[in-house]
Parts: sequence; structure tokens; C-alpha cells
Amino acid sequence: MSVFSGLKFRKVSSPIHNLDPRMKFVYVCAIFAAAILFSELLPLVILFLIQIPFVLLASVEREWLRSMRGAAFLATIIFLTNIGAAFFRDGYVFTAPSVEGAVAMTLRFMVLVESFSVFFLTTSPDHLGLALEQTRVPYEFVFAFTTAVRFVPVLAEEAQTIMDAQKARGLELERGNFLKRIRNYIPILIPLIIGAIRRSLELAEAMESRAWGATKKRTNLYVLKMHRGDVVLIAITFGILATAVYARLFVRIPPVNELLRNLP
Amino acid sequence: MSKTAVSSAVETKILAEMIVFIALANALYLISKLYLPFLHLPQGGSITLASMVPLFWFALRRGPRWGIEAGVVYGMVHILYIYGELSLPTEILLDYPLAFGALGLAGLFKTRPAIGVGVGMLGRFICHFISGIIFFGQYAWEGWNVYAYSAAYNATYLVPEFVVSAIIIFILLKRNVLHIYT
Repeated sequence: MSVFSGLKFRKVSSPIHNLDPRMKFVYVCAIFAAAILFSELLPLVILFLIQIPFVLLASVEREWLRSMRGAAFLATIIFLTNIGAAFFRDGYVFTAPSVEGAVAMTLRFMVLVESFSVFFLTTSPDHLGLALEQTRVPYEFVFAFTTAVRFVPVLAEEAQTIMDAQKARGLELERGNFLKRIRNYIPILIPLIIGAIRRSLELAEAMESRAWGATKKRTNLYVLKMHRGDVVLIAITFGILATAVYARLFVRIPPVNELLRNLP
Repeated sequence: MSKTAVSSAVETKILAEMIVFIALANALYLISKLYLPFLHLPQGGSITLASMVPLFWFALRRGPRWGIEAGVVYGMVHILYIYGELSLPTEILLDYPLAFGALGLAGLFKTRPAIGVGVGMLGRFICHFISGIIFFGQYAWEGWNVYAYSAAYNATYLVPEFVVSAIIIFILLKRNVLHIYT
């Protein structure tokens, strides 16, 4: 087992994975627009929570948590900058509204990252390629995209093997000054490039033998069609957008600190 | 069909080469992420083990048209491997396909590869710079204006990246690795 086997995208089937990627993209854009509309805490919390059922339905919690953890670092920076600016503005005190504002800005960022990661975690590259093809992206691009994705783990493993082989021969990668280190990298890069070219010749032969580019109008075995799930997703998307616009225009959104004060 | 059979066979070969080199660039990126995780900046962008070299190499070998196409597709593939780092739906266009597409401009300077690498990196820098102003302005460090912040942030990883790529491309050219198997 190598480290890179985790990179292969497996075919997963779940209600979310089976949705039309185009509709999912529209959904991501709608969440994005809705998050931009608000700078209050309450609606952003709701937007954040709305997406958790998607993550659970697709059962990608672990990957999702990992991407959230990746975003946490930047989220901390955003929080500190915002609260720092408010701290100086208010005359060196922390006020409840300024803390809430900083939390809201951080949460807005988290919502954006969340929606985007849900899209990419639940869309396989093949599916994405199919969607690109059916939105009239030239087939050459789509083919290059899907095939390159398949080659990445293969070449990463090859690079690893070559690095190990050269290290076994006494190549020292972590020694010497800057220029020396770059020069040490050459014995790895040249075999890699040669190997890649050989691989590309094989790929070209395979493509030629399957009559690449012989027909201008291609047809697909799988065609993306709207299913019931897609209709539901569209309904949800429009629901979120309409509610967000309505809330923005006509409802006064109460700050959370005010709600907390009125509780008892 | 206007194309002759020969030219289409050559084109298939170039396309296959492009695919493999896009994958190689991504593989190098992943390997450097594995070995040098501390060189990755929080808002995207990282110093890598010459992961741009395959793209420059391909652009210098096949010219700007193919080079730009390779960069654009590389940018699209790259998006799949960066989750965890920051990415916003709107910046995916400017930061990935366009910025990496600009690398292909290196192909315009086939005879002067050092200039080509410089121009390609400059193109990438301009795309990241604009995207930095538009999308990341709100995260600027205290006391910096947005332009200085974007320029400084992007320069921190693009300048080392440029130096490493230029040196490696120079050595590869000296060893005649550019035009093998054409």
C-alpha cells in the first residue's frame, strides 16, 4: 500500500453523489450568493447548518472534517484580524456586537469553503468531465482533464520509486547549499521526464488504435438527465435564495447577543 | 476532413504528451506536499519541488498554443487536489485555469527559455495578484494596503518557485532533454 492509493477517486454511490453536477454547482453558487448577502451571525449559522445533512447523506464526514480543519487556520487569522480591528476602533474594549461581527465574518468564510468542498467531495472527476462535455466544453479539454486525473497517482508513485532508487544509490537530497540541492534534484527529474514521455507514446498509440478524433460528433453512453433528486435540489436552492433575499429586504435580523440578553 | 492523417497522428501524440505532463506536474505537487508541508501558505500557493517544470518544459517544446492549453487543464485538475486549502467558487477561474494557463506563454520564447520561464511566471503572478486584490483584500495584514499585500503575498512563493524552475529548465536544456523523442 502506498500513500498515493488514497488519491484514486473511487466510484461512490449515494443520493448526493448521483446528483447532476451542474445542479450541484448552481447550488454552490446560490449558497455563495446567500452568504455574501448577510453579515449577521444568525443567518450564517443557518447556512452553515443547512449543508450538514448533505455531508451526512453523502457520508463524506471524514473528508469534510479534514477540509474544515484545513480552513480552520485561515479562519483563525480572519477572526483575529476582525476582532483586533474592532478592539482598536471601540477604544480598547471588547463589546458584544464586535465579537459577534468577527464570529460572523469567520463563519461566512467557513460557509463558502464548506459549500465548495461539498461539491468537490461528492463529484467524481468522471462525472465532472461528463458535465463539462455536456456544457459544450471542447472534448479535447474534457478528455485531457479526465485522463490526467487518472494518471496522477500512477506518476506520483513512479516519482516516489525513482526518488527511493536514487537515494539508495547515495543521492543526498537534504544536504548542501541551495544550488547544490537543486542540482541534486536533476537525477530524479530526468528519469521522470523520460519515463513520462515513454508513457505518453504508449498513450498516443492506445488513442490512435481507438481512432482518436476520427468522428467529429461524439455520442455518449451515459447522458446526464434530470432525476427526481435534481428537481428537489433545485427546489431547495431556490428556496434558500428566495428566503435569503426576502430576509435581507424585509426582515430585521436580531443580533444574537440581544436574543441572549432577552432570554431570562 | 481538411486535416491529413499524418497531422492528426502528430496531434494525438502531442495531446497524449500534454496529458502525461499535466499529471506529472500534479504528481510533483503532491509529493512536495507530502515532504514539505511547511512550505504551503494558508491562502493557497506553495513552494514546491519544481512542480511547474513539466509545464514549462512542455510549453517550450510544443509552443504557446499547447502550453496554454496544458496550463488551463492543469489548473482544473489541480483544483481536485487542493481541498483543505482555501478555495472560493469565484476565484477558481482566475486563480487556477487562467493563472496556470499563463505559464504556457513561456512557449513564445522557445529560443530564450530563461525569458520564457520569466514571462510565464509573470503571467501567473499577474493573475494571482488581481485575484488577491479582488477576493482576498479583506484578509490584508494590518497596516498594509491591498495592493502591497497581494504583491507581497504572491511574491513570497512565486519568486522562489521562479528561481528553482529557471535553474532546472536551464540544466535540462544543457543536457538536451528538451527535444528527445520528437
